[in-house]
Amino acid sequence: MAARSEAAYPVGWKNGRVASWLVTVDHKRIGILYIATSLVWFVAGGILALLMRTQLATPNEAFLTKNSYNEVMTMHGTTMIFLVVIPILAGFANFLVPLMIGARDMAFPRLNALSYWLFLLGGIILWLSWFAKGGAAHAGWWSYPTLSENFPFTSPGHGQDYWILSLHVLTLSSLLGAINFIVTIHNMRAPGMTWMRMPLFVWAIETYAILLLVALPALSAAITLLLLDRTVGTHFFIPSDGGSIVLYQHLFWFFGHPEVYIMVLPVFGMISEILPVFARKPIFGYKAVAFSTIGIAFFSMLVWAHHMFTTGLPVGLDSFFMISSMVIAVPTGIKIFNWIATTWRGNLIFDTPMLFALAFIALFTMGGLSGIFLAAFPVDWQVNDSYYIVAHFHYVLFGGSAFGFFGGLYYWWPKMFGRMLDERLGKWHFWLLFVGFNLTFLPQHMLGLLGMVRRIYTYHHGGIWEAYNLISSIGSGVMGVAILVFLINVWRTNVFRKGVRAGNDPWLADTLEWYTTSPPPPHNFDTVPYVTSARPLRDLRRRLAEQPQ
Amino acid sequence: MRRKLPSLVLAVLVALATAGVATAANGGFTPVEPASPNAHHIQHAYYLVLGFTAAIFVLVETLLVVFVVKYRSRGRARAVEGAQVLGHTRLELIWTAIPVVILAIIAGFVFYELPNIDSAPAAADPIHITVEGHQYYWQFDYPNHARSIGTLHVPAGAVVDLKVVSPDVIHSWWIPALGGKLQAIPGRINHTWFKADTGSYDGQCAELCGVFHASMRATVRAESQQAYQHYLTSWRGTIGKQIWNGVCATCHGNLGQGGYGIAIANNSLLTQKSGLEGILRNGFTGPGGAMPPVGETWTQEEIDALAAYVKKHIYKSAPVGATSGG
Ligand code: HEC
Ligand code: HEM
Ligand SMILES: [Cu+2]
Ligand SMILES: [Cu+2]
Repeated sequence: MAARSEAAYPVGWKNGRVASWLVTVDHKRIGILYIATSLVWFVAGGILALLMRTQLATPNEAFLTKNSYNEVMTMHGTTMIFLVVIPILAGFANFLVPLMIGARDMAFPRLNALSYWLFLLGGIILWLSWFAKGGAAHAGWWSYPTLSENFPFTSPGHGQDYWILSLHVLTLSSLLGAINFIVTIHNMRAPGMTWMRMPLFVWAIETYAILLLVALPALSAAITLLLLDRTVGTHFFIPSDGGSIVLYQHLFWFFGHPEVYIMVLPVFGMISEILPVFARKPIFGYKAVAFSTIGIAFFSMLVWAHHMFTTGLPVGLDSFFMISSMVIAVPTGIKIFNWIATTWRGNLIFDTPMLFALAFIALFTMGGLSGIFLAAFPVDWQVNDSYYIVAHFHYVLFGGSAFGFFGGLYYWWPKMFGRMLDERLGKWHFWLLFVGFNLTFLPQHMLGLLGMVRRIYTYHHGGIWEAYNLISSIGSGVMGVAILVFLINVWRTNVFRKGVRAGNDPWLADTLEWYTTSPPPPHNFDTVPYVTSARPLRDLRRRLAEQPQ
Repeated sequence: MRRKLPSLVLAVLVALATAGVATAANGGFTPVEPASPNAHHIQHAYYLVLGFTAAIFVLVETLLVVFVVKYRSRGRARAVEGAQVLGHTRLELIWTAIPVVILAIIAGFVFYELPNIDSAPAAADPIHITVEGHQYYWQFDYPNHARSIGTLHVPAGAVVDLKVVSPDVIHSWWIPALGGKLQAIPGRINHTWFKADTGSYDGQCAELCGVFHASMRATVRAESQQAYQHYLTSWRGTIGKQIWNGVCATCHGNLGQGGYGIAIANNSLLTQKSGLEGILRNGFTGPGGAMPPVGETWTQEEIDALAAYVKKHIYKSAPVGATSGG
């Protein structure tokens, strides 16, 4: 940590232990703030999930009331998406992008700090809504009108307004961040780092940022109109006064589907960084992996109505959206196969980051394949809005995004804090999470096919329904334990300082962030080597090996 | 790796055991047993997708496991590099092309099945029924203005055309054995259909519609032509009871003893038809919460039937002697 003290501010109080974090404009500290804050909300959102699973463990359970179930469900979904997955990825991007491209900081460091503080503010607004008149929002994370409108029996009170306000603030935060990433990546790459030598994670962040810019305004529009309906008496989405609910659905999902890729493309990027390092190989087909990212991003803007197959759209539209959704499966498949090929004839080292990366491939494949059923729209008519969907999107969001970011945490932790997370605890964390995850979500596919619809606070069926639900709830407990193990690991490493000190490059990795110290000094690099390939650090190691002193 | 193998074996065993038990009980590996042609054809599409995706799943996971086992480090130092393969254009083209072909087959098959799923058999003369989703009950309107709540009566083997609507929030009509879902959206009229084999089929609302979303169940009873005709002529006799059980009991309890809504068994409004009608048609918000306008779309006849029913069976009913609840 010695290097940090160099960044002395001329004003004394700003150098304090806490104050220095409050006033920081250093991308690394902002990245760490993002990640830490997201993890706090991950635990909070996880507790909500455990509450739901407790309520659903057995039929006719009365652990949560039906009102509070809907609030918990809505808050869990909104929290996990907007306060966990998106911001933790923004955190990784903040910490890593300048380091990976050999830059000193982000293009607009103050704007970057603003993005973080807006994120924190947006999250606080959302969680304050528990105390709002009428309770927290309870219309689900997509808040379809008229259920989200301000009528006595839909969403009266202010929970829904807080929800809208929070999303507006979070949107602003993400938009500013996205602009910052794009400008940084376009202008601040190290000498020699052409687009085809850029780390794949940086490719992913570039596309993530563009998608945010394209998709978020549709969300802002939708929730602004909703807010107007709720507060000043317009009726954009109130059909009895000439409004259109289907319009809201279109606006929401024009944002909502790219959102799914916003939550997973950066994770693809992380996997593409981690796998080669622990396979001791280059990524198989760099160009295919980079271009498939762009392909996915492009097509992700053309598939939104696959979330609306049951609204009774004309069959012609359904057909279009089926085909466009299937098209997306192709570049996704390319990635999966290229990753697997990356392990072929490698020297595979199963450190914790690698375990998470391999599990990511296994689980994301499952989520991707269950998605094919949803694209075939008549099949979607059966499984839509059932627990099959809940299983599908948790395989993508948890098995995909969350397993990915855990891998990323274990991988970059030494760079962030100069200490390695403990491997033994890491492996416990991994295996508990892997088993718990599959116990929780695999049976939900079957529940959905059996007819269990989502967003119900209870069910009255015994037998196989009860068995699957119970298994699912037990699995969620196992996941809870896994997260505890992770927190203990973090505590032990950073607070008790038991973690092994890491040198610059503990994993013998490929990219520039490993060129500097762990943690890096405020200005990141004293010098940056001229980049001649996508693996500058490997080039450097080889050059050193060739000329012994 | 040594740690990984036992857990893998265990996982596979557990999965197989569960699968065995589950298949024996038709445990959710395919959509529920279809009882209508559209559901049958959806099932066909499901099987096709299942076939391809299962094959890809097995391929991907097997490759992954095999590579993990085969190329594991075995104590080699970290500095030892694997084969420095940068890619292989022909291979990559192959694994781009094969999914394209598979997806094209799936899409083609969907288009082939679609007419049988989307449209009712042309020759048949369908029975038109309106399905109205309400907070929190399903209401069915028959061709002769008969009505039912919660249970839809149809003749087995007849093509039934459903007009799906909602006056309040989005609901979603779904009887798994009789085909896919369709949202009931305020301001929109949607159509679906089925042709049910004899039997009784359960389903429930699939779109979050408020606190009692979980209670919004529906049953389709596909019965003989006589039984169906009998319902169409005799519905007036039971509609009061149907409304109480299907609508009011959800919130006020089977005997009006209270639950989510306040206890009303001793509320004198139950004996005043016009007062009761007012709150049913307009909804009511008071200190005990909000009651939706559950009777917005009811005819005078139904209100009368309900009023008569609650006066007789619910008002001041001693719990023991009460006849409601079924
Ligand atoms: C979705 C839940 C719900 C349903 C369904 C429902 N009610 Fe209510 N009802 C309530 C609530 C909540 C109240 C309490 C309103 C208050 O006093 O604040 C209430 C109050 C009442 C009252 C008392 C009004 C007063 O002024 O004291 C009567 C009578 C009543 N309901 C009758 C019915 C009947 C008859 C039905 C069936 C047709 C029905 N309710 C269906 C929720 C419901
Ligand atoms: C990164 C992690 C996670 C993400 C991103 C996530 C996301 C979501 C989302 C978006 C919803 C939908 C909410 C809505 O319909 O409005 C949801 C629902 C739910 N989640 Fe999660 N979740 C995560 C982790 C978990 C975990 C670990 C569990 C179990 C322990 C869990 C259990 C549930 C349950 C029970 C529901 C309710 C399903 C329903 O009725 O629709 N989630 N989640
Ligand atoms: Cu989508
Ligand atoms: Cu519902």
